[in-house]
Amino acid sequence: MAKSIEQLMELIDVIPDEPSKVGEFILPELMAVASAHEVRNDDIVFAGTGLPMVGIMTANYTTAPKAMLIYESGVCDGKTMHVPMSVCDHRAAYQCSTIGGLVDTFGFFLQSGYVTLGFLGGASVDKYGGVNVTSIGDYYKPTHRFTGSGGNSDIGTMAKRVVYIILQEKRRFLERNDYTTTPGWWCWDFKTNEWKPKREVWKNTPFAESGPAAVVTNMGVFRFDEKGEIYLESFFPGVTVEQVKENCGFDLNVKKVKGQTPTPTYRELFVVREFVDPELIFLPQKMDYSKEIQAIIDKG
Amino acid sequence: MPRIRGKTKTAEILTLEEAVKKHVKNGIQIAFSGFTGMNRNPFAFSWEVVRQGFKDLHSIDRHGSCCTWLLNAVNAIKIQETDWLGWGEMAGKIDLNMERNYKAGKMIIEDYAHGAMAFRFLAGAVGAPFMPYYAPLGSDLYNPKYDALGRAGLRDGKNPRIPKKKFIQMEDPFWGDGEVVLLPAARPNLAVLHVLQVGDKGTARWRGIGTIDKEIAFAADEVVVVAEEIVPEGELRKYPETNQVAYFTVDTIVECPWGAFPSAVPFCYDYDVPFLRSMDAASRNETDLKKWLDEWVFGPKNWEDFVVKLGTKRLLDLKADSVTGYSTRLLRGKKPAPRMKMALSVARSGY
Repeated sequence: MAKSIEQLMELIDVIPDEPSKVGEFILPELMAVASAHEVRNDDIVFAGTGLPMVGIMTANYTTAPKAMLIYESGVCDGKTMHVPMSVCDHRAAYQCSTIGGLVDTFGFFLQSGYVTLGFLGGASVDKYGGVNVTSIGDYYKPTHRFTGSGGNSDIGTMAKRVVYIILQEKRRFLERNDYTTTPGWWCWDFKTNEWKPKREVWKNTPFAESGPAAVVTNMGVFRFDEKGEIYLESFFPGVTVEQVKENCGFDLNVKKVKGQTPTPTYRELFVVREFVDPELIFLPQKMDYSKEIQAIIDKG
Repeated sequence: MPRIRGKTKTAEILTLEEAVKKHVKNGIQIAFSGFTGMNRNPFAFSWEVVRQGFKDLHSIDRHGSCCTWLLNAVNAIKIQETDWLGWGEMAGKIDLNMERNYKAGKMIIEDYAHGAMAFRFLAGAVGAPFMPYYAPLGSDLYNPKYDALGRAGLRDGKNPRIPKKKFIQMEDPFWGDGEVVLLPAARPNLAVLHVLQVGDKGTARWRGIGTIDKEIAFAADEVVVVAEEIVPEGELRKYPETNQVAYFTVDTIVECPWGAFPSAVPFCYDYDVPFLRSMDAASRNETDLKKWLDEWVFGPKNWEDFVVKLGTKRLLDLKADSVTGYSTRLLRGKKPAPRMKMALSVARSGY
């Protein structure tokens, strides 16, 4: 018989917080949990629509319950019960502290320096974490025209740390983007027409040291070295380092690989399936639990 | 050219047809309320704009929406000055009508970013000619090569709605806090807002997110407020701290229930995911799009007829809960929403 939400809540602490095995989770669950691990409990998080929202909600429901969530439409610290489909979904605003608009979020919160973590998507990323969400090909005659910045460029340059969730493909991991919507650790200085470290272009501003911290893809987790260059930190189960390299448009640094990305724990999977996206909006399906876990659920 | 105001307006109550006829002209610059295609889009207003056949509009906005989707469906937008061109979020990220028109050279797109556009409207609202903003230095948004209106020769000062420059980058002269970008104020002809309630004198109230709706109301020369209901002005003045738009900026009031469909009006109704998806599907080829427009835009006798055509079942599913402000009966994904009483984070760790 279906369990009530109260019964499910009581079960959370009973489900073992141990790593699940390959075959017991699907890729979007792994991506949601891997990105959720980037959130600290004291973070002020500014998240975009889509998988970033699932990631941040997963973090908020597991390891970072005190992390404060800001959504660009004007929401401060929403206590979301149902996963929003958009940053302006009223679900994001449930029991929030204050509600305003874009001047609040981009001005009062972001430009004034409160935001410690940005959580964003992107169409392509360059070697230094610069992101394109605008167009492919010539800007004025694009082969593909995307949505354009939205909050990506603001959040991606002014949040202290930024995590991107991007699909891993050769055409999406590039030496240089066709159009840089959100600069990474290296970018153009249009005053002097030079390609420079972000630190120099943004010198003396409050955001010279803010920028990309990690990229989570469908193949692994990436970080940035002291030169601002991206490197592979861990790869997903079932993926090899060579496969990651093959799906990258430049010579990827794989010298710092620590190993396989930790798999989601049974408890994390339980929370994602029963509380984060039980409506199956982002997750394509709900997997069956393993016999052992199902027995615990049935017993509780 | 400086703008002199110095006059309060007396809001007039009109029908949707009359309001569109009075305020819209070919080629005007227009801003719509709400955020993305999912929240308080004045869809009925843009629907009527399309029915009355206006063209060559200059949309200036923070978002793509159901309004811009529909206007692009009939190629009524000539310039889209925006910071985000998606519209339907998870139901349809890219506006395919826009993409088609843009690739065919039928429209100009000028890119900004959310914060930048918010600050442009803030400047317009508070009467400042420009506003400084940091982000995003080093982005192609502020690459001098990428100034679409300049490239089209439209920054010659002849159009009082188009500033002579897209931006200027300068060093902070006061505190030495690095380089900043100066952004020109946004000064549209017309702002159209969809709200929950409006007083019969024009004071307007919404619940939930505000995006930059207060700013667009003060930045625009003319303001139309479309509301779910018109209430006696005195009722809104019992709790003035929950009102957002001052009556003296409002020119025209329209009562139009379900007028933001298929986007949401928090505490009234939710966004309609299947309908948004059907719009996205229709925009995939021109034959389907024409069929869709004939059925949903040119077919109904008036907006009320459009709402009746939606059917009772759909409206029941969309009706918002009185406590959450959204619908928990709506099937958004593959499974129904769980009966939550509080967020899990609150249940486990408090506020």
